[in-house]
Amino acid sequence: MKEIKDKMIAQINAAFPEAVNKAYDGNRLDFTVHKDAIPGFLSHMKDQLGFRHLSHIAYVDWIEENEFELVYLLWSPTDKVKLFVHTRIDRENPVMHNIDMIWRQANTYQREIKEMLGIDFPDMVAPDEFILEDWDDIPPFRRDFDTLEYVNRTFWHRPGREDAQDVRETISKRSGEEIPDFAKKYSR
Amino acid sequence: MREKATTLYLGPQHPGITGNMMVRLKVMGDTIVSAQTEVGYLHRAFEKLQERRNWLNSFTLMCRFCVPETDPMENLYARAVESLDNIEVPERAKYIRVMVLELARIATQLMWYAGQNGSLGLYTMGQWSIGDRDYILDLFEQLTGGRVYHMYQWPGGVRRDLPEGFEGKVLRTLDYLEKRLKDYDDLMFSNSIFQKRTQGVGYVPKESIIEHGVVGPVLRGAGIRSDIRIDEPYEVYDKLDFEIPTQEGSDIWARALVRRAEVHQSIRIIRQVLDQMPKGEFNTSIPNPMKWRVKAGDTYVRAESARGEVGYYAVSDGTIHPRRMHLRGAAYVHAITLLENILPGQNVADVSAIMNSLGTCAPEIER
Repeated sequence: MKEIKDKMIAQINAAFPEAVNKAYDGNRLDFTVHKDAIPGFLSHMKDQLGFRHLSHIAYVDWIEENEFELVYLLWSPTDKVKLFVHTRIDRENPVMHNIDMIWRQANTYQREIKEMLGIDFPDMVAPDEFILEDWDDIPPFRRDFDTLEYVNRTFWHRPGREDAQDVRETISKRSGEEIPDFAKKYSR
Repeated sequence: MREKATTLYLGPQHPGITGNMMVRLKVMGDTIVSAQTEVGYLHRAFEKLQERRNWLNSFTLMCRFCVPETDPMENLYARAVESLDNIEVPERAKYIRVMVLELARIATQLMWYAGQNGSLGLYTMGQWSIGDRDYILDLFEQLTGGRVYHMYQWPGGVRRDLPEGFEGKVLRTLDYLEKRLKDYDDLMFSNSIFQKRTQGVGYVPKESIIEHGVVGPVLRGAGIRSDIRIDEPYEVYDKLDFEIPTQEGSDIWARALVRRAEVHQSIRIIRQVLDQMPKGEFNTSIPNPMKWRVKAGDTYVRAESARGEVGYYAVSDGTIHPRRMHLRGAAYVHAITLLENILPGQNVADVSAIMNSLGTCAPEIER
């Protein structure tokens, strides 16, 4: 495996000198690539180095660094190597290149990324909405989207169904029955 | 006079036991002209919720990604955390996990028997296979306390050891299932209606396989011998002897034959597991879950579910909360771009059957 990986690293470094390799044990190969180089890099991996299978495009919001990260996860069925391709995108200008002409399934992943993180793929052809409907807040998988605040602002409790009630006391009030002594210590 | 295309909405009420999703079809007569998958009925934002939970609380959401097939997701989560935090799992726990994963594979395929036949109006098969699946759920209940959701394969191993006499119960259940599979063959594969409704239907062209990221029985039904248990072995699959069944037809029939053969292979695997399982510890002690800071880093782990590759990308920033957890489900690619690609030209009556044969699981798509 080490020989296969070393050979691949040499080939990738020769074709993309600016790509940064990080060493990992096992069958993991890891490169960080500038976002503008991604379509060419992935296309080369698929056609020249045997990484034919796109497993996934994962995304992370690094809000402290004001960047989004996309991770393209590729698999080589012949060499049994797993390739992680990382790229960073400016959070203030979240635009990324479309790659669904390389793998059609990337269209689905990109639709999710667009909706959940707010990264735009200008060349991608897809319906506007994917999972969310009439969403008018910030994209919900951004770290600064507060789920609790959103729920409290958007929904309301039905009378008698407010949160954080003491179950025993509430039942006792409704039914008029007293809480048994042994159970009182469990009430707030 | 030119015939006008009509829009037909299939779903979102379970279009063939696949979960809530919708396929918007344009049809000319009975023939589909175009198809578009619409999801959004089941989004629970599990991965967002995981950001607020600690590493063990977060684990309890895992099994809920795809209801008919919960165990591979638990396995992925456990392996992702173990990979990030360099946790060694005892050998016995690995064997137990494989037994659970293969029992789950059989249970999922029995559910598929029901869905695939039900989508063609052949309901007896479903009554048989769902009834037989319950015997496996009985085993899960005894082992884990839960029938469908187990929360059993957690980081470090498994939650508890096998109960006394459990191995014998598993073997008796397998013996029973093996006999029943012959009945299934008579009722389903020898049935001329099933043959006519599935042969040549739902064809996946070989040139679409890479483009659409096709995995699992759909891939093997197109003649490609690929299985993560062999390609990138996890747990103790590299110590077990089993075959990867393939077929050439790339239609519903071929995929059905693959799944049928895979049930037999799972039975074979479980028997070996019970035979080879060592005695010893069933888990490694883990830190206090309320204070557990998993080492910073990222990982991507994969498993072969009954429907194909499921994967989990996990990121830790060294705190008590997962930074990011992102699931790749088998249905995520099959039920959207692949389905939209193969439906044009098919008969509208075959859509549910095609969706079933692709392993569609709507809750896994939007999570």
